[in-house]
Amino acid sequence: MTPRTRAALRRCLASPRVVIGLALIAAAVAVAILAPFLAPHDPQEQDLLNTLLPPAWAAGGVADYPLGTDSLGRCVLSRLFYGARVALYVAALAATGAALLGAALALVAGYFGGWVDWLVSRLVDIWMAFPPVILALILLVGLGAGVNKVVLAIVLIDWTRFCRVLRSEVIVVRRRDYVAAARLAGFTHAQTILREVLPAVLPLLITLFSLEMGIAVIVEAIMSFVGLSVEPNVAAWGVMIADARQTMNQAPWGVVAPVLAIFVTVLAFNLTGDGLRRALDPRLVTSRGEA
Amino acid sequence: MSRIALLLLFRRTLLAIPILLCVSALVFVILRLLPADPVAMSLPPGASAADMEKLRQAFGLDRPLPVQYVIWLGKLATGDLGVSIYFRRSVAELIATALPATLELVAVGLALGVALGVAGGLAMFAWRGRAGEQALDLGAAGLMAIPEFLWAILLILLFGVAWPVMPFIGRLSPDIALPAPLTGFLLLDSLARLRLDVFASALAHLALPAVALAIGVAPLVMRVLRSSLLDVIQEDYVTQARLRGIPERTVVVRHALRNAALPTISLIGVQAGFMFGGTVLVEMIFAYPGLGNLMVDAVRNHDLPVIQAVGLVYCVLVLGINAAVDVLYLAVNPRLRTPA
Amino acid sequence: MDVLEARGLEVSFGAAKVLRDVSFTLRRGRVLGLVGESGAGKSMLGRVIARNLPEGFAVTGGALSFLGQDLVTIADEPRRQLLGDKIAFIPQEPLTALNPVMTVGRQFDEHLARLGAPRAGRRERAIAALAELRLRDPASLLERYPFQLSGGMCQRVLIAMAFASGPALIVADEPTTALDVSTQAHIVQIVRALQRDHGTTLLFITHDLRLASHVCDDILVLYAGEVVERGPAREVCAAPRHPYTRALLAANPPLDGAARRLVTLPDTMPGLAAFASLPGCRFAPRCPVKDPACAAATPPLRDIAPGRAVRCTEACLTGAAAIVDAAPPRPPAPPPGETVLALETVSKHYPGERDWLGRRRPGVDAVKPLDLTVRAGEFVGVVGESGSGKSTLAKLVMGLEAATGGRIAVDGKDVTVNDPAARRVRLGALQMVFQDPQSALNPRRPVSRLITQAMEAGDGRWSEAERVARARALLEETGLSPDLLGRYPSQLSGGQKQRVNIARALCVTPRLLVADEIVSGLDVSVQAQILNLLLDLRRERGIGLVFISHDLAVVRYLCDRVVVMRHGEVVESGDTDTVFAAPRHPYTRALLAAVPPEDPDRPWPPEPGPAA
Repeated sequence: MTPRTRAALRRCLASPRVVIGLALIAAAVAVAILAPFLAPHDPQEQDLLNTLLPPAWAAGGVADYPLGTDSLGRCVLSRLFYGARVALYVAALAATGAALLGAALALVAGYFGGWVDWLVSRLVDIWMAFPPVILALILLVGLGAGVNKVVLAIVLIDWTRFCRVLRSEVIVVRRRDYVAAARLAGFTHAQTILREVLPAVLPLLITLFSLEMGIAVIVEAIMSFVGLSVEPNVAAWGVMIADARQTMNQAPWGVVAPVLAIFVTVLAFNLTGDGLRRALDPRLVTSRGEA
Repeated sequence: MSRIALLLLFRRTLLAIPILLCVSALVFVILRLLPADPVAMSLPPGASAADMEKLRQAFGLDRPLPVQYVIWLGKLATGDLGVSIYFRRSVAELIATALPATLELVAVGLALGVALGVAGGLAMFAWRGRAGEQALDLGAAGLMAIPEFLWAILLILLFGVAWPVMPFIGRLSPDIALPAPLTGFLLLDSLARLRLDVFASALAHLALPAVALAIGVAPLVMRVLRSSLLDVIQEDYVTQARLRGIPERTVVVRHALRNAALPTISLIGVQAGFMFGGTVLVEMIFAYPGLGNLMVDAVRNHDLPVIQAVGLVYCVLVLGINAAVDVLYLAVNPRLRTPA
Repeated sequence: MDVLEARGLEVSFGAAKVLRDVSFTLRRGRVLGLVGESGAGKSMLGRVIARNLPEGFAVTGGALSFLGQDLVTIADEPRRQLLGDKIAFIPQEPLTALNPVMTVGRQFDEHLARLGAPRAGRRERAIAALAELRLRDPASLLERYPFQLSGGMCQRVLIAMAFASGPALIVADEPTTALDVSTQAHIVQIVRALQRDHGTTLLFITHDLRLASHVCDDILVLYAGEVVERGPAREVCAAPRHPYTRALLAANPPLDGAARRLVTLPDTMPGLAAFASLPGCRFAPRCPVKDPACAAATPPLRDIAPGRAVRCTEACLTGAAAIVDAAPPRPPAPPPGETVLALETVSKHYPGERDWLGRRRPGVDAVKPLDLTVRAGEFVGVVGESGSGKSTLAKLVMGLEAATGGRIAVDGKDVTVNDPAARRVRLGALQMVFQDPQSALNPRRPVSRLITQAMEAGDGRWSEAERVARARALLEETGLSPDLLGRYPSQLSGGQKQRVNIARALCVTPRLLVADEIVSGLDVSVQAQILNLLLDLRRERGIGLVFISHDLAVVRYLCDRVVVMRHGEVVESGDTDTVFAAPRHPYTRALLAAVPPEDPDRPWPPEPGPAA
């Protein structure tokens, strides 16, 4: 491990943002994996005698339903736990796909320049003309609804986030003499890209990846909110919000619980990404000595 | 200056045409991947196969894809956006009523978001290294972790349900008769006709959705402005201004802020584009009769003519905002308007 | 009367004393030079005056007074009132010292307004001030933005602003370092003339002792935060006493006279972190004549003649005299071998970029058709100012850019088109040493993997043991300790980085090195080490060199042949001694005249050319 990497790691672990963010992410992942053991009920199980129950601590609450029930008498807490599975599944898969596609195009465009760069840049321009939500809606109309379609849509939309930012960073790295030196040492283009350029942009890629996971959670929530993601009976946070919105007057907590779940998850990814950016961005470190 | 601005706008428009062509082709192809049959969905159950075929022909859906696209483009050139399968009305007409509502919402939301963001950014900079900066930073992180559509729901919960002080459905109270549209922008029309009751009601209805949208923009503007100010304040010309004995306040306002504005303006341009995306769900949640609401209805009903037309309108809006931001950038950055 | 007086001034960073016991007086109308290599602490004084010390640095002792007013204890507001008015500053980087979004006129106007000038006459005053600097058409200059001006023009504007208030003191921190040699001479000429005319007191901070000897009345030589020698500029340069001052002058290659091997000191100046372990003389670890007592206690700065003081013991002073005299003559060039590199009418044209309106800007002929041959064992210097195309030439030779015309041959084989076969031929014979080791060394590679990077290329069939063995040999050859094998570039000093940079180029045993400004970022004493290393490499390996530089003195020391370039064109070329002794082209003459001569009594700078 280079001293630079070690110092960067130390700065990351000294950053309260990264530590808190990672802890929250770990908790969310644990909940998602252990949902069958943690959930007090089956998330689909309806208890029509106990609909719209408030949380256990509120007046009229029942200990059996810690966060109350929805309009069909389903356990809110259990649905929340299972919802984490959908959210994290989409986040991990979509962010990975978008990162791979975006980074590959950014490396090729930024390194070779010329017409390759022109082509990729125009592609990004076209994509950037769409507000992301609009493109997502259109894609899901075309592809049909479904959680894997949502993942595909996010990959097809958000590769531009990676591509735009990484491309300009690759261009900066490309101008460094050590890239020219690698070529003069006899490296092929592929060797130069993978051994000299990619490691230099990796910190930025990790940061963007973390932020993208948060964005993916939000997009999944939006799509399941409008009914374009999971099947209507599957527990997803967006579905829960859409259901609970109908009965918001009688049972506001039904909305608040999934909103809080989304808030905490997205906050965790944002904090991690933000902390990593501060810890890894060499410009921030040198210009302000900020950790 | 103004001639150069016009030149820039002209060039922007020229560049927008190929982008819009690509965008429309993209939308067209994606929508034709559709597994479900929009015609079948729009007819009552039990309609005969012959009925469906007739309808399909009426909408031109039986032709090969490139032919459909060329026909659509040709009609588009004459301003004909086709007929909505679901609403059975002219798409152009639907958009004409919805567009001013969305523009009004975005204008108010953007103005609010930028104002809050700039104020917050300046405050963060003024309090740099102190607790106030940390508090604002944490606040921004919190605000950013909740997307606009959830803010919309939370705002309704807070100011519509728990403490019912604000209206949250539609553009105007149902007991006020909608005045005959002049521009379609309620705030402008009401002022033009001196209908202060309409103005007040329209503003009240705009408040919550605009705040929901502003929350999406303000923290980003705040952070970018703060960090650009921190970068700029280290520049040589700022040091040199201080060494000339220029008072600190003047140094910040005259020398630092104008240079720090450049990256902030770029960010606002990108965010304004995203804000149009944000309006989709916010309008739906507030039952606000704008483009977003139209889009969601169209998506739910697989109303292809509406989806592709509205999608294209959004792209035109984004490109328009980008051009406007470019002109603003030009005004602030002399490097672009003067030959080196 | 004393304008500026320092008494035992001390600046600390934590426990480390960055400036220690700095004392001097600067009388009205005099020019004091503060000379030192990077890290000597020469910029600290200006920062103390402006209260602009970097974070963590603080004045911890002594006093610094300006016209009797203590600048250390003065409150912020009265200090701000002094700045720009009674004390003015000329910056190091003129291009970034003016606000890019404001016209020159607006900034000048702001400055005059701050001085309390009434609005009515401000424009005329600004025009008059710029005219005094012989800037052509000052009225239109006021309408322009800084990025439309050259560095030299920006610096003139800033100088005009500095003199506008008729200040008692001007602090100029390396005001010419960022400029080309000929511009440097002009700027120095202007500052000196204005200083004399206005009777201004000037504090001139520079790394260039020779420049200081021509600009300043008195000189303070700083080493690692201490004044090691003080005295009248001419005397200090003509007869330096302190071993460091002697070594500094001896490390600087002269433009005339016999070429002697440069005297080098071992290692580099200690940094902040090392100060704590140097209780005594901070120069002792590198001192050729040190005495065990020096390391224990700092000798005081003692007067040795009227106006002259040295921080050294008497015994050392006598011993130091021997250093320079002992220098052997520069080794003669060996007879050159067969031709390695041949350029025939090679040219490079860059098409202009499109601006935001899509208009194509005019293109540049970076290199106009040019012939050049370099033989094995031959050292060829390529000299030119910025924009002369000398770096583009290096890229063309190395195949990093494709030539737009002409033919390039390596070992007689055509390599103009850089296909894989040409690449093999070229990279087997030619290697490049880059200008900025900061950018040329991948910060993620340890030294061992940096210098043997070429062994990783292709299918990389070398074992780890073979790589380490080669790395050790290369380190030894470039005068580096094998302890550095596992270090990363961030852990190396500037000189060490440049040696690693050279070692990497030697890995494939090339017969010709292309070196682009490889000593321009280095201090004189480190520069001398690198130059001598290159001469040693020729002796041991018979290697040839294309040495690209803006520094004529360095080229004269190192190269057998020289090529002078200007605007992409060769204006003069030939045998180094001939060209330097009797330059034919006016541009070569102007370049040579712009270099401060070794003899402090020769009048310099030359009379200025026409107004810019």
